[in-house]
Amino acid sequence: MSSPDAPQPNPLHLLAAFGSGGLLTMMVFLNGEAGSHGGALFSSWLAHGTGTVAAIIFLAVLWRRRPATGETRAKAALWAYLGGVSGAATVMLTSTTVNTPLALAGTLALGLAGQVVFSLAADQWGFFGLPKRRLGLRDAGAVALIVVGSLLIILFGVGASA
Amino acid sequence: MTLFITYALTAGILVGLSRQLNGRLALSTSPLIASFFNHAIGFVFLTILGLILGNLLLPGASSTPWWAYLGGPVGVIFVASGSWLIARIGAVNTALLVIGGQMVSGVALDLARGAPLTLWASALGVVLILAGMALTQKRR
Repeated sequence: MSSPDAPQPNPLHLLAAFGSGGLLTMMVFLNGEAGSHGGALFSSWLAHGTGTVAAIIFLAVLWRRRPATGETRAKAALWAYLGGVSGAATVMLTSTTVNTPLALAGTLALGLAGQVVFSLAADQWGFFGLPKRRLGLRDAGAVALIVVGSLLIILFGVGASA
Repeated sequence: MTLFITYALTAGILVGLSRQLNGRLALSTSPLIASFFNHAIGFVFLTILGLILGNLLLPGASSTPWWAYLGGPVGVIFVASGSWLIARIGAVNTALLVIGGQMVSGVALDLARGAPLTLWASALGVVLILAGMALTQKRR
């Protein structure tokens, strides 16, 4: 049967994405500790600095193990290198909003909304040269369940008990 | 207040934008190289910003425990994995599953360290997230 839906994703890839959410929890916890000592700007600066050093070490280790391949790939445009600026700007915005009446819960809930809207548009039109994915009803149902579940945790679950 | 709501929404959009850009860079290089540039260029940007604002190194900064420095290395793996996954499962699946994993592990962390938690809302939230994950896998 032909269907406009995106192909079935590999379950291992989905599990990896879910697992990487655990890395994010760990990262937020560690960076939050740095932020409680030196402030939000210092925390983000430190994480980007130690991350740069760690990436160089990881690359050096992999470089020594990997045999050279003659493969050449299409070069990326300069704008593709700006993901780090976007990420750094995110920290500036969220470290502002957590100290407003929005607090952490509002910041997380609105950030979730922003991510969902952006990612839906990104898949629909294939933003910045990544593959397009037509989403079906099943995907819409999954999005709705995960969004409602996350909002329950953010707004009524974690840290919200009076 | 409208301004702060716009800030928080924009932050979410920038998270998606960052992953999209890093994912594109990873196609031309590798996920780990994309993660390196993400951190190195972010570091340069924040250094310049800190020098302009003059509040990069507050007095408390030097008392940061050594283990808090590990947020960066963990972030390198996180950005590399997102850059690899987005080209394979798409932006929506990556964003939603990362958020789902963050929520479920956050609830687990709070349970483990005895932080305040409203159990019914957290448990129902976890069930809905897992149901959403199962739905992405359901055969047509």
